[in-house]
Amino acid sequence: MTRARWDEELLAAPELSAGAAARRLREGLQAHGFELLAGATTRARRIFLDSFDGRLQAAGLAAVHLRRDGAETVGRLAVVKREGGAEVAGEDRFPAPGGPILALDLAVGPVREALLPVIDVRALLPLAELDGELTEYAVLDDERKTVTRLTIEQAGLVAGVAPGPLLRVRLRLQEVRGYRSDRQRVSACARELGFVVPRHRLLDEAVLAAGGNPGGTSAKVAVELIPSQRSDAAAAAVLRALAEVVEDNLEGAIADLDVEFLHDLRVAVRRGRSVQKELRGVFAPDALAHFRREFKWVQQVTGRSRDLDVYVLEFGEMRALVPEPIQADLDLVVRVLGEQRAAARRAMARELGSPRMAALRRDWDACLEELVALPVADRPDAEVAVAELAGRRIAKVYQRMRKMGEAIDGHSPSEDYHEIRKQGKELRYLLELFGAPLFPAAAVKPMVKALKRLQDVLGRHQDREVQRRTLRELAEPVSAQPGRAEALMAMGVLAERLYEDELAARDEFAERFAEFTAQPLREQVKATFR
Amino acid sequence: MSTVLATYNIKGGVGKTSAAVNLAYLAARDGHPTLLWDLDPQGASTYLLRVKPKLRGGGERLLRRRSEVAELIKGTDHQYLDLLPADFSLRHLDLELDGFKHPTRRLARVLEPLEAEYDYIFLDCAPSISLVSESVFEAADVLLVPIIPATLSSRTFEPLAELVGSEGGAGGVQVLAFFSMVEVRKSLHREVMARVRAAHPGLMLGAAIPAADEIERMGEARTIVELLAPGSRAAIAYRALWWDIRRRVRTAA
Repeated sequence: MTRARWDEELLAAPELSAGAAARRLREGLQAHGFELLAGATTRARRIFLDSFDGRLQAAGLAAVHLRRDGAETVGRLAVVKREGGAEVAGEDRFPAPGGPILALDLAVGPVREALLPVIDVRALLPLAELDGELTEYAVLDDERKTVTRLTIEQAGLVAGVAPGPLLRVRLRLQEVRGYRSDRQRVSACARELGFVVPRHRLLDEAVLAAGGNPGGTSAKVAVELIPSQRSDAAAAAVLRALAEVVEDNLEGAIADLDVEFLHDLRVAVRRGRSVQKELRGVFAPDALAHFRREFKWVQQVTGRSRDLDVYVLEFGEMRALVPEPIQADLDLVVRVLGEQRAAARRAMARELGSPRMAALRRDWDACLEELVALPVADRPDAEVAVAELAGRRIAKVYQRMRKMGEAIDGHSPSEDYHEIRKQGKELRYLLELFGAPLFPAAAVKPMVKALKRLQDVLGRHQDREVQRRTLRELAEPVSAQPGRAEALMAMGVLAERLYEDELAARDEFAERFAEFTAQPLREQVKATFR
Repeated sequence: MSTVLATYNIKGGVGKTSAAVNLAYLAARDGHPTLLWDLDPQGASTYLLRVKPKLRGGGERLLRRRSEVAELIKGTDHQYLDLLPADFSLRHLDLELDGFKHPTRRLARVLEPLEAEYDYIFLDCAPSISLVSESVFEAADVLLVPIIPATLSSRTFEPLAELVGSEGGAGGVQVLAFFSMVEVRKSLHREVMARVRAAHPGLMLGAAIPAADEIERMGEARTIVELLAPGSRAAIAYRALWWDIRRRVRTAA
């Protein structure tokens, strides 16, 4: 298959068909002493893919599955550069993708190598399919030598079985080495004839025509706030943005397209719950209690699936913790884990698709919509300037963490670590959602940095404990399987290693906590957040 | 790294250029980026590929400013096949090489910056024994020697075999010879072929290029035999020859 590579792309006038465009071009070029020679015409089906959050696009890449026509079921999956279309990696005889493609599921080879560092655990999703007819042309000079290559393409969107809308005819010019000035003359001639530089690349145009979003959908929330803004209005704006992230990711989480949908959904819910709690004074108490309960329920029904996702993701790493000769004994655990994950996912999908969830989404949206218009009698913080309220809360949580951390020594129960970690999350969300847009970066950034380092250690401590607990829970189903003895023994070794790492995390806590509560940072917090 | 193949014979008119152009085309058709360097001041390959015989700065600039060689390369009508064209200035290439400290290494040095870009580089050399040909022996991985199976012509092959060393080549270059302009109806051709093949089994390729109309018509049509008459004996012979060469080349790309 010819490498997709071109130097310039132009669009024909909207009323022109591929044939009419070629005729117009032929006449125009003739006047400049060129001859247009038609070559082969091919039909091609192209499916453009990217992760939900557009990671390939952000990396300047695109993934495309190319097959000769709609009847074929296999083709070439290629990773190409967005700029110029040069192929980075490709694999032939690849089945036309109908669903998500995970890099880790691909055969070891250049395509996997090219994708994995970019998309990581995210799946490539088919975004748009094009049915195109491409005709190749050679532009000849007076010696009948090819001095520029042209491709004229008429492509239409494939929407299900029916042909979708046609895109505008596209002309691609490919320079022949050593004939730059000829290519420039051909290009100038095409522009004279009404061909224009396209606003979007073909793949972006296809994705847009299919109703998609070429840059992908980000789970990042950055709402601009004004320090003097009413707190209820600011909270509603931030919470609406978080609710949108939940909406964006709900379908993918239910369909289990990749693990990040559920993760992003849960993070958005958790951040929302955190805002509800920290800025509780902007809500009417009864309504708030109802929504806090409902969102807690969302976290509960999604929790087990997420835990098992993480477990499956990290099992490779955990497996490396046990001595090499007994690593294979853990295969049984992987299988049981997979079954449990599938069951948890099914249960979760039922809940997320339930009327209760639908009601929550609808009611929460309505609540945020009308929040500012509600009476303020039972909402003491509603009219407070958001910078004041957020500053107060940030200072408060920071002080609380200091107290909790100072009480922790190496022998404290795990719950103490969990509690301070929870507070750390609250603080992190406050800083990201309100601190960043409202306060000087010089104050917010060092605080976030020290907090992150502290949370990393606390997170590892927590992860190891959850992993040990999950391992204990797996002992029962694993012991019902043949070959269980070796698996159980290997699980014992793994549990011990996990515990050792948990203890190591405890040791590191003191150091990180000292950084987090160092004198300069304390003073900075005091000066900035009242 | 590219494999550098030079078509060479002391005598002219033995099918050297036809072989270079047709083999380079077949290499490119397989998707291998291929460069054909026309070193013959007559510029026959340049003409066949419809490129104007113009080398900005001439042969001297080519040798002196090797970093600029890439700018002199021309794309051809065929995907993946590029040409470094010849012009008449190349007739002084010998004298110009003589001005260098290590003249026989110069062509290899000129090729260095191109090695990353091309899988195959073909050198189409002018018929002679000169500083240029010695420089070509130095630069090439493989010397492709067309021989007309007539007594006189095949005798020119013997000193060459000696020059580059014993059977299979020495000093880095591998020598592969093939019969060219073969007329199988002539018993003399058949006899000479049998004798030379028996004497140099490691040197002789199995495929032979016939004396064919299609090859002569290439000049008129300015194209490749494969495109002019894909079903012809000549086209089939070039395909067989290319297959045989790839199989035998020690430094396969």
